Amino acid sequence: MTARSPLAERSADLGRVGARELAFMSQLDVRVDPASATTLGFPTDPNTATSGGRDVLWLGPDEWLIVGVPGAARAIWDEMEASLAGLHRSVVDVSANRAVIELAGPSRHDLLSSACPIDLHPRSWGDGRCAQSVFGAAQVLLHEREGVTRLFVRPSLADYVVDLLLAVASA
Amino acid sequence: MTPGRLADGGAWIDRSKPVGFTFDGAELEGFEGDTLASALLANGVIGGFRSPILGRPRGIHAAGVEEPNAYAEISAPWFDPIAAATTVPLVDGLVARSRAGVGRLPEDPGSMATPRVAHRFVHVELLVVGGGASGRAAARAASEEGDRVLLIDEHPVLDAPPTGSDMTVLANATVLGVYDDGYAVVLERTADIVVWHVRAGRVVLATGAIERPIAFVGNDLPGVMLAGAAAAYVERYGVRPGERAAVFATNEQGLGVAGVLREAGVDVVRTVDARSEELVIEALGAERLERILVRTPGGDEAIDVDLLAVSGGWNPNLGLWRSIGGGLRYDDERATFVADDGPPWLSVEGQAAGDVPAGTPLWFVEHGDDAAKFVDLQRDQTVADIAEAVGGGLRSVEHVKRATYIGTAVDQGRTSGVLAAEIVSRLLGEAAGAQGPSNARPPYAPASYLALAGPTRGDLLDPIRTTPMHPWHVAHGAAFENVGQWKRPWFLPRDAEPMDRAVERECLAVRNAVGAMDASTLGKIEVVGADAPAFLDRMYTNRMSNLAVGSIRYGLMLGLDGMVLDDGVAMRLAEDRYLVTTTTGGAATVLDRFEEWLQTEWPDLRVYCTSVTEQWAVVAINGPRAREVVSATGTEVDVSREAFPFMTFRDGHVAGVPARLARVSFSGELAYELHVPAWHGLEVWEAVMAAGEPFGIEPYGTEAMHVLRAEKGYVIVGQDTDGSVTPHDLGMDWIVNLSKGDFIGRRSLRRSDLVRTDRKQLVGLLPDDARALLPEGAQLVVEDTGRIPMPLAGHVTSSYRSATFGRSFALAMLAGGHEMHGRTVFAPLPEGTLACTVTSPVPYDPDGERRDG
Repeated sequence: MTARSPLAERSADLGRVGARELAFMSQLDVRVDPASATTLGFPTDPNTATSGGRDVLWLGPDEWLIVGVPGAARAIWDEMEASLAGLHRSVVDVSANRAVIELAGPSRHDLLSSACPIDLHPRSWGDGRCAQSVFGAAQVLLHEREGVTRLFVRPSLADYVVDLLLAVASA
Repeated sequence: MTPGRLADGGAWIDRSKPVGFTFDGAELEGFEGDTLASALLANGVIGGFRSPILGRPRGIHAAGVEEPNAYAEISAPWFDPIAAATTVPLVDGLVARSRAGVGRLPEDPGSMATPRVAHRFVHVELLVVGGGASGRAAARAASEEGDRVLLIDEHPVLDAPPTGSDMTVLANATVLGVYDDGYAVVLERTADIVVWHVRAGRVVLATGAIERPIAFVGNDLPGVMLAGAAAAYVERYGVRPGERAAVFATNEQGLGVAGVLREAGVDVVRTVDARSEELVIEALGAERLERILVRTPGGDEAIDVDLLAVSGGWNPNLGLWRSIGGGLRYDDERATFVADDGPPWLSVEGQAAGDVPAGTPLWFVEHGDDAAKFVDLQRDQTVADIAEAVGGGLRSVEHVKRATYIGTAVDQGRTSGVLAAEIVSRLLGEAAGAQGPSNARPPYAPASYLALAGPTRGDLLDPIRTTPMHPWHVAHGAAFENVGQWKRPWFLPRDAEPMDRAVERECLAVRNAVGAMDASTLGKIEVVGADAPAFLDRMYTNRMSNLAVGSIRYGLMLGLDGMVLDDGVAMRLAEDRYLVTTTTGGAATVLDRFEEWLQTEWPDLRVYCTSVTEQWAVVAINGPRAREVVSATGTEVDVSREAFPFMTFRDGHVAGVPARLARVSFSGELAYELHVPAWHGLEVWEAVMAAGEPFGIEPYGTEAMHVLRAEKGYVIVGQDTDGSVTPHDLGMDWIVNLSKGDFIGRRSLRRSDLVRTDRKQLVGLLPDDARALLPEGAQLVVEDTGRIPMPLAGHVTSSYRSATFGRSFALAMLAGGHEMHGRTVFAPLPEGTLACTVTSPVPYDPDGERRDG
């Protein structure tokens, strides 16, 4: 018996659109006031993200998503709780709350623009940008990172998102 | 065959690329760049169309989207039930057939050749609609400033298309609608369809002008054509639209078409200049134009022609301008309407901005029978029809539109709108331009649902949400129930047994042994912060602030109106941290509600809410042997009755996986919920099923879950409640704590209407015939008078056959029901009246002796 990522059975389908699943990524939702976040080096420009050992994505004026390698959630949680001790904050492990799809290839933004309404033109979108939007009827969080685009989607909607990617790729 | 292809010329066609097509069964040939209409003219076909109501012969009248006559069904290489021949790009293998105004789907819809449809979202600083000179100039200027520009044009070919970085030019593309703040939807139509969703900082409408016809007797005959269209067929497609022609115009530009036609070798025998009091008073012919009658101050002339090019002036093409709220004003010199004020991000250029030739206003010719002077060719409506509507007392052009249907056909009255408005004004004795044409609305051009739907069809019509345990249930033959977007296991038939047998088996397993259910779809929210206890006290009817860490409490949430909105449990994870659950369908509503109150009413509360619905997969294990199953699945948690009491939880492991174990029950039996990170959901489910096998475990679905909870009298919010039910109505006063301080809905609970004793209240019902199943929704009466109508006393909300009780039973909302236990009520049904005994809604294990096993 092993853990099963939401898109474990869809790797071939994902491959057809130049994508793969990043399984079991550590994800933590952090809520805290922006001034405190600044001291942690969190991005405070809307819809931007920092990358490094772990990524920090701006989700809102007082909300961030920390993304790390699989298995790191507990350590990140402890670290955040320690760093923010005494402050009004919320740190919640949401690692399994979203599947992560990574799209590579030069046409990935065209593919996404088939069903995602935000501006993915290089003028307003590029490395280090993130945004909460939709792909078709599914909520998605997009993160542009080192030449690939990551899509964070609810596991329950992950099959729908893959099916829609396949549909728009063949249209 | 008078029209035909010229030996040379035609800026938009490629004579090196012949294209074969079929029209009304005849195999014909055109060139790439042709429209269906230009290719028909090239083959000598100008008529062959019929008007939809009167069945009159009609021919190609225009050269663009304003065409009122020449409509065709396309059956290959794609299917389109009705399209203007002037807008259909000619492609090899095109099969078309003339259609009179009304499209029809094929008898076998599966035989339709459907085009591929893609949708694209695009953002630009400037959208230019119309690829004429002024549109191209606007596009170039913006591009040179560094703007991203999208230029679209409805024609297949653009003259001198502009180029530039981030300049996109679309031919064969029509704006369906321009909406608030520069959002536009564009339909690009070739063999495939692309629907562009455009977000533009600015929109320039360089949509040109549409030539106006003149209403005179016989003006609908094939061979009567708009002058600009006649010129367009020559210049764009190298097609001669007739052999012997006359031109009838109110303006210099229209009269100038005579020169274009002559150069193409057409014998232009007469120009009729309305400015010099010359009029065409009648067009004559059987199936097509043969002769015109011209009246001049010097007398009448009869002239044989096969083509009459008509220009009654030009209307700036402002349909899109008007559809987004742009205003119009009448311009006397040009005898037409031009753009007035509009949204700041929207502008008009060129002919659309009023740069059209001056001319003498002429709407219809007085001479002859008004019933033969056509205003709206597509609706077969004449000057006489307008006169009848006005004579009947209608004064507004909008009313006349609705009485005559002028302007409501596929062509949206592009040639008839201004004409009809001015005829109305004229008949009413009003000044020219007194009313203006009837309003324009999107879509600007017809679009199929197929195009608008794009990929959103079939299984992608609405997302299907599934849980981590879904594959197991599929593999085990579960029937699924749609709960919102979720697919939930409904029941799991064994050996093709019918539903009621499967549900009975599943229920008995839970009552007598043990069952497991996928409860992952429950909404889950982490509520964190020092004020989380106070916040939850305000959101729920009972007190959550004194809940001990490690304990669980059921909670009810009300609307401001005091009605039950949602329910769930709260688990206190730490002093400043709760996990609350919601109904499957209420998850988003409840989180939105939490955020709304925190952000708008109580920003002082230090509380953060985070949705964790899909973080956790949940296995619910219910039944007297549940404890043994959890133990056998493998956990370090002491699950004994003494160490792990009802309504508490423990964090630990199950089957080697981090888990939260909770003692909550929705069946009344001993029960555990296992909450595990979603990616462990399937393996833990499989582990539970394997560990439970010796204990007779059965997987069960939502139907058995519903029966089991109803046997206990537990309500389902949204099934037994309908937004008009209070906690008191449900007999749940025990959960309303009026002494703890304010909570949402508290004030409403004291309203006089909510304390009436004859409100509908929750009861149990036992049909006197123990085998009879009450339909859910059945109305109840206290006295069956046998006469309809009779006073209604309530309705059935849930109804099941219970294997536990060995009989059917129901839950119902019954007026004054709390005081009616033991009485008989009736459900009058089409097949006969069912008598039922009213009972307590908690008929099973009323003392709760089974919950601890």
